[in-house]
Amino acid sequence: MFVALQNVFDPALFWEYRAVLLTGLLQNIIIFAESAVLAIFLAFIVGIASLSRHGPVRWTAVAYAEFFRNTPEYVLLVWVYFVLPLIIGTALGTKANLSPHVAAVIGLGVAYSGFLSETVRAGLRSVSYGQTESALSLGMSGFTALRRIVLPQAVRRMLPEAVNQLVSLFKSTTIVSLIAVQDIMYQVSMISVAEMRPVPLYTGAALLYCIVIIVATQLFQRLTERWRRRGWA
Amino acid sequence: MDGDRPIIRVKDLRKSFGSVEVLRGITIDVSPGSVLSIIGASGSGKSTFLRCLNYLERPTSGDIFVDGEAIGPSIAPNGQRKSGASPRDIARIRSKLGMVFQQFNLWPHMTVLGNVIEALIQVKHMRRREAVEIGQQFLAKVNLLNKKDEYPAKLSGGQQQRVAIARALAMQPKVMLFDEATSSLDPELTGEVLEVMRDLAREGMTMLVVTHEMGFARDASDRIIFLHDGKVEEDGTAAQVFSAPASERCQRFISSALS
Repeated sequence: MFVALQNVFDPALFWEYRAVLLTGLLQNIIIFAESAVLAIFLAFIVGIASLSRHGPVRWTAVAYAEFFRNTPEYVLLVWVYFVLPLIIGTALGTKANLSPHVAAVIGLGVAYSGFLSETVRAGLRSVSYGQTESALSLGMSGFTALRRIVLPQAVRRMLPEAVNQLVSLFKSTTIVSLIAVQDIMYQVSMISVAEMRPVPLYTGAALLYCIVIIVATQLFQRLTERWRRRGWA
Repeated sequence: MDGDRPIIRVKDLRKSFGSVEVLRGITIDVSPGSVLSIIGASGSGKSTFLRCLNYLERPTSGDIFVDGEAIGPSIAPNGQRKSGASPRDIARIRSKLGMVFQQFNLWPHMTVLGNVIEALIQVKHMRRREAVEIGQQFLAKVNLLNKKDEYPAKLSGGQQQRVAIARALAMQPKVMLFDEATSSLDPELTGEVLEVMRDLAREGMTMLVVTHEMGFARDASDRIIFLHDGKVEEDGTAAQVFSAPASERCQRFISSALS
């Protein structure tokens, strides 16, 4: 019984490789953080542009969101890593290279900017136009009204959905091992080749991810709860 | 001389939504310090008229002058633009016109004081301390200084609307526009808002008031216009419009509104 369990879950084996696994986890976290910043930045630009009064701006933003929402992130990742350098190289007439790390951040960042831009768009639309009108009537510019009146309200409403998207993004960082970023999955596959014991290693990896995500989500929810209590009487 | 210049001058204002012409040529001068009530059935164009004055609605044609200055591009009846006005000019002229909305439109993520000082800081570029001083002064004027640190959701509708009035007044506008300011309030809360409006009128504020409150229109306004179908159908002092309106439609409207 105990041996059978140990074949599935073996903390001792994990502990033995803790240094390598933590380096891997750190890679996941770094790639998550960087691609999250990129995705959020792009999502705000695209989400705001998708509500623009100017047709071409709006159409471009909608096309962008549709394209990246409907393309699997694995395909995007491979495309950025293998195809993008070829295109850049041809354009510049030299040989271009993207490191796996940079490719991973760009690939995941643009993929999730598509989803998140929809969240931004929905958040902005949930703020009634009367909020903007009262700001404009006092002489604020459209930009100031957006920045000071609409966005602060929209962001608070976006948070629950955005947290879901970011959890997905964190989970998606596991696919970066496929372009040889040395994350947990990469380390686990290397170790399981050496140890010949894939079952406890992959089970351990699954649990590790789960724990990290639960802890992070809890922290974030507590934070948003506090924001809500402060601003939303 | 200058004192007689109309503070608002509207010439042949027209506005269409798609193929529906909501305003069909309105021409009116408003003299400084006067209170003009705009009455009429729903759909008569009164709110649209008010919203065109500060360019929240873009007129289809016609000219609007605020304090002698054209707001927005002046447009000929054939749709041709005669002159341009930048978004910045429009914003600057808007800040001379305080507007109070039917739905209050307070910003729920800011405190009462935050609502009142926001435009002072963002538009008039005041220092925070100076803005707070002015903000408190106007909150005191509407008797809500004790609520300055509350969020709008904690206030009654009447209190919210008084904050909205203080927010508009703090910009020290030349004209106040009231767009059915009491229409979404419970009957027992309209009184406190109308009281603030009466006080303002007594102080000599120029006011354009779109309203269903016939009592206010009769007692507080210097002049009443009755809009019907996008046109001014009746225009006169409160006494004239209420006791001897020339238009039969206006007469019917008033008697049904008073009963």
